[in-house]
Formats: sequence, C-alpha cells, structure tokens
Amino acid sequence: MTFKVRTSVLDNSDGSAELTTSDVKLIVSITGPIEPKPRQELPNVASLEIVVRPAVGLSTTREKVLEDKLRGMLQAVIVRHLYPRQLIQIIVQIQATPLSKHQGGAYSNHRDEVEYSNVELNAAINGCYFALVDAGIALYSSFASTCISITKPHEINDNQEYIIQPTLDQLNNSSSHHIICFSIEDKKATKLLLIDSLGEFTEEELFTVISKGVEQTELLHENYQRKYISDKIHNDYIWKS
Amino acid sequence: MSRSVDVSTNERAYFIEGLKAGIRLNGRRFDEIRYPHNIHLSKEEYGYVELEWGKNKISVRVSSYIRKPFEDRPFEGIFNINCEINSMASAKFENGKNSDEEVLISRIIEKSIRRSNSLDLESLCIIAGEKVWNITVDLNFLNYDGNFIDIGCFGVMLALQHFKKPDISIINGGEDIIVHDINEREPQPLSILHVPVCLTYCFYNITNQQEVNIKGESTSDDIYLLDCDYKEDLLKSGSIIITLNKNREIIQLSKNGGIPIDASLLVDLALGSIKVVDELTDLMKKLIKDHEQQRFDELNLKLLQVGADR
Amino acid sequence: MSRMELYSPEGLRIDGRRWNELRRFESRINTHPNSCDGSSYVEQGNTKVICMVQGPMEPSSRSQADSAGATIEVNLSVASFSTFERKKRSKSEKRMVEMKATLERTFQQSVMCHLYPRTLISIDIHVLAQDGGLLASMANAVTLALIDAGVAMYDYVSCISVGLHDQTPLLDLNGLEEQDISTLTIGVIGKTEKLALLMLEDKMPLDHLESTLGIAIAATHRIRDLMDDEVRKHGNLRSSKLAKN
Repeated sequence: MTFKVRTSVLDNSDGSAELTTSDVKLIVSITGPIEPKPRQELPNVASLEIVVRPAVGLSTTREKVLEDKLRGMLQAVIVRHLYPRQLIQIIVQIQATPLSKHQGGAYSNHRDEVEYSNVELNAAINGCYFALVDAGIALYSSFASTCISITKPHEINDNQEYIIQPTLDQLNNSSSHHIICFSIEDKKATKLLLIDSLGEFTEEELFTVISKGVEQTELLHENYQRKYISDKIHNDYIWKS
Repeated sequence: MSRSVDVSTNERAYFIEGLKAGIRLNGRRFDEIRYPHNIHLSKEEYGYVELEWGKNKISVRVSSYIRKPFEDRPFEGIFNINCEINSMASAKFENGKNSDEEVLISRIIEKSIRRSNSLDLESLCIIAGEKVWNITVDLNFLNYDGNFIDIGCFGVMLALQHFKKPDISIINGGEDIIVHDINEREPQPLSILHVPVCLTYCFYNITNQQEVNIKGESTSDDIYLLDCDYKEDLLKSGSIIITLNKNREIIQLSKNGGIPIDASLLVDLALGSIKVVDELTDLMKKLIKDHEQQRFDELNLKLLQVGADR
Repeated sequence: MSRMELYSPEGLRIDGRRWNELRRFESRINTHPNSCDGSSYVEQGNTKVICMVQGPMEPSSRSQADSAGATIEVNLSVASFSTFERKKRSKSEKRMVEMKATLERTFQQSVMCHLYPRTLISIDIHVLAQDGGLLASMANAVTLALIDAGVAMYDYVSCISVGLHDQTPLLDLNGLEEQDISTLTIGVIGKTEKLALLMLEDKMPLDHLESTLGIAIAATHRIRDLMDDEVRKHGNLRSSKLAKN
C-alpha cells in the first residue's frame, strides 16, 4: 500500500496536504480561522466551509454528499468553540481516482462504470487530518480512516475474504465495502467517528469489519501520522537545539 | 490569510519608484517571464499534468468518452474546458461564486484554445452523426501568484499534447465500434493543429495622472511588465492579453479596460512576443518528446519494433 | 456559409459597401429625458442599442461606495428578438459577463471617476437588434449617454469593428461578415491613437495587425465626429429653447 503525504504544498493556504495512495491522489487546503461572511457566522463556534472538487467534470450532487459526510465527521473532531464567529475553509481537490487511472486515463466512461465515492471519502478524511495538523487547527483527538471490502462468497466453499484498501478490480468483485473512521487517543482507537457501508453484508460481518478497522487505523496512526507529526515538529523547531 | 487584498499607499509608491528606476521587486527584467518548473507529466495516466510557474500551481486533466454529436454538427467531436477557481488558490476567489475575473480567465483560455480550433474536432469523429469523442479538460488552479491566464493556457496545451485516446476499430460496416484496451493497441495522440500561447502584459501609469496618460503624446511614460506576480497584478492599472502561435498568427487579443495604450505600442508588444512564444512552444515540444522517450525506454517498446527506420 | 463571396473582385462587399466604408451611423441623445439622467440611442447599420445612465447617485449597497472615485456598473440586456433566431439570453452567460466587465473597466478609466467619490453610476444597455459590431455600438451608446448625463469624461470613447478578409481590412462588419472572418473591435479615446478597448476573437496574421489597426483608428475618429455632431446639435437645440424663455 502506498501512502505518501506532503504538507505545506500551497503558499496561499494556512495548511495543506497532498496525499497519494495507491489509487487516489488529492490535495486538501485549509484556510482559517478567518473572518466569515455574515450569513456563515455562528455566535459561539467556528463554522466550516467544506468544498469537494471532483477529478473530472463539474461538481454534482455526488460531491455535495461527500461534503456533508466530511462535515459531519470533522465537526466532531475540530475544537470549534475555540474559534467563535470564525470560519475554517476546507477544500478538497481530488486529482486522481481509481476510475481516472483505469485505462491509463485514456478512456473513462463514467456513465457506464460504478463510481466508488467512498474510496475518495476515505482518502479525503486522511488528507484532512494532515492538512488540519499543518494548519494548526485544534483537534480533540487524532483520527484515521480505512477502507475494507468483503469479497463475494467463493463458488465452492462459500469463503469470504476481507481486503484492506481494495483496488478497483477488488471493489468490482466485492459484495460490500466499508469505510471506517476512528478517533485515536493514546495510540488507541477510541470512538467510531464515521462508518459508511455499501453492498450486502450481515451484522456479524460488520462487526468483523469494525474490529479490523480498529487494527488498521491504529496501524495507520502509528506508522504514518505519529511519524509525520514528530518529523514536522522536528523540522519546525529546527532552530531549537 | 485574510480575504482583503489591499496594498498600502507607501507600498504602491515604493513599487512605482522601483519601476521608474527600471527595477521590479522580484528582480526580473520587464519583459522576462517566470518559466514553468516542477513539471510533472504523469506516467500512469495520459493527459494528467501538474506544474508550477513562479508560485502558481495548477493541475490539468484531460479525459475522453464516446457520445452522440450535436445534431447541427454531426462531423465534429466535442471539446470543452472546465476551469473553476475556488478559494484553494487564493482567498480572493470565493467558492461557488463566479467573479468577473474568474469569467474573464476562463473566457480567454477558451477563446485561445477552443475557439481557435487548436484541437482538430473533425478528427474526433468516429461515425458521423452517431459517435464522436468528447474531450474534456479539467483545469484546477491550486495556488495563485498572478497571471493565471498564461499558465492555464500553457498547462492545458501541454496536457492536450500529453493525452492519448484509445485506438478504435469500426466493425459491421459502420454499425459498431470496438474500443481497444490500451494494453492491446497503442493509444493515439490527439491531433493538435496549432499551439496557442497566451502572454499577459500589465501596464502601470507612473505619472499617476490620468489626464497625462490620455492626452499625452509621448509613450515613454508607459511601463509594461510581462508575466506579473501576485503583487504586481494588484497594482496594475491595465492589462492586455495577447495570444499568439508559432505561425505568427494572433489568436486572440483582449484588453478589458484599464488605462489606454498606444496603438504602436500594441504592435511592438505583439511583435516582441514572438520570441517568448517560440521559446514556450519549443519547451512544450521538448517536454513531450522527453516524456515519450522515457516511456518508450521504460516499457522497452524497442523490443516490439520491427523493420528498419526510414 | 464560407462559400459566400464576402468581397467581390470589383471591391464590393455583400451589402454593397467598399472596404473602407462605414455603415449608416445614426445617433440620438436624451431619448428618455424623464426616466433617467442621460440616455442615448445608437444605430450602426442594423445594430440598434438604447442606453440609459443613472447617477452619479448614492450606491444601494455599501460595497459599491469607493472613497477614491465613482463605481461604474453596467447592466446588459439583450432582447430575445434582437437576432433572427429567437433565443433567450441569460445575463450569466460567459460572453455577456465578459462584455459587461469590459465595458465597466473601460469606462472606469475614461470617466473622471475621482470627481465623484462614494457614488454609483449605473448604466443600462438594451440591445434591440444585432447585426455585427455589438460591443462597438454599445460602447458608443454608453459614451453618448454619459455625455447626456453630464458626467465628466476625458474625451469621447469611440468604437468600431474591423475585419480582415485575406489581405484587405474591411471596416465596420455586419452580422454575416462577422460570422466568417476574424473581427477586431477597438475603442479609442478622443482623437488620439490610444486604445481604451481591444478585442480580437479569431485568428489574424500578426503582420496585418498594423494596417488593420490603422484603418480602425481612422474610423473611430470619424465615429467620434459623428457623435460630436449629434451632441452639438442637441446642445444647440437646448440653448435655443433656453434663450426663448
């Protein structure tokens, strides 16, 4: 699994992160806290303006749904009461998706193919984490998200497999896929912030997926997020020997 | 970063004094452009380009699919360019609101590339009246540092030259088509008729008196800068966008208001631009060629080549 | 369309003009004396435009109040019956926004805005009929209406379109010609060679730019004289009325 992060890539934003995973690439920029327009202003907390822009074409209802899911999740982790009457702009620009990479980007028949928006949501959540840290926005806890798919039952023995970070082909052959986002405190996944499932699955399967999600998000936190933050602190305070 | 983008009077005066002494704050000559750098031509996807130009940053994606042509133009493919600017680029662009500046940027890029027929639409036709290619360009502005038009036009043209569409066969006497997998048959590049290059000149009124500028006979007071950065753009008192190609054709000219400029100066600017246009066109050609070569080497296509080079 | 003969070997265009002839230019000012501060009506061939100016006045929203000078706002409305094909044109169409922004920015520089700080000058343009040279006619109409409103300007802004057919520049294109050959629209301030407005939308060989510009500038000077005649005629009419009282 590739998982590459670069932060502070944009000069005009307060925080930004470019996340490249095996099949999704996106840039998240955070501007804020800034002065909101009067109609956006909330008296006791910060308001969030979230924009998701697709890799191909103009924004549609699909992007609005992604924005809403993202907002619901981020509202729970950003310490909003620290920035009353202010605005935090979060812009997610998706640059490559599993579909756009299909056929080397040469031919994309969006109308025929199933779009896996959740894969993009998964990457967007992880991207937001690094951008928020880069922008220095207060968070209650860390958070990480992962995507797990369950394959179709095997023809002979009815076995089903759980695949972490599935590729486009694996998604096409899955009976369901789930994205799970946990808040992480003291290196332990604590609260379930978001779960989004698509397809057919049993209750038992879902619980398995969640417990696998705990594992995966903790791993992600341990391997990437912690490392990134300690590197960042080291670089930002390089003058402090 | 705040939304307001005001420049103080002192800052303006300092800048103007600099211009009078022939100095730009960024150290460039008046007619010197920032060249693109960090150019990333995707190896995984055809038609995906990221590049920086000064502190400007853009990403361009070209995509294609097959559809029915417009009824009044059965022999032509469909080509469109999406360029929306959001507040990621700079806080001065509001989300979801099409400001005049944004419309002008997208109109000029569209006029330079789409209206000038730089992409051969007839070559995109598969079966007349039934099936044509639809080519969409998505131009995303990620970071703003003045002069989105020039960089946007450069990025789109580079991406169009980088893009390849899958090969197609027509079967059953024009009834059906097969879209060949890119691993089965080498995809085809688009047919580009000419490569337009936009150049934006900003004007500064150093006398600070409108009257002198309009009535004055001498043109020595006019100062023009090529490829303005963020601050220079804020302080400009007029601008003109010239789009040219290597064949010495003017594709588009537009001067949307701003201080009047002398007609002879316009002609001089247009003639002077040719050099820069040549440089940029050659740069694009070289980038594409190098990239092709790299791809060729990596995929070891030499092994597949049969016959002697002519 | 392109098979039509735009310029015959005898040197005649489809409407019978020679290369350097303008279309009939009719203008009136003060056409709507009661409903606005300044108004004008311009006919350039079959292109017909009405323009009304309100102001300088108190701006309706605070964002339009600029302490350095007046804000100029242009509203464009193109009648659905203005072309042969009846088509509803929305104001948010990119071409419309571009023309509106171009006019606003042009006149922001040619009106002495610093004389009217914290005010708004609102310009309404109604296009009744289109037959080529739309932007030029609109700019001419705005100039006349601003003069009628008594707004201080540096000089007339006179506008014209020129095309290039093979090697010959053709002056003041009509709708049919405009569809087929590249059109350059320029706006000149007074009798100078200073370009206030410039728009070229199709290809033109670089080496012909100079000659095309030359004929266009001469034409704008002619348009300026025609507009000036109308303004003076109206002025005389008014002063004679004053004298009677």
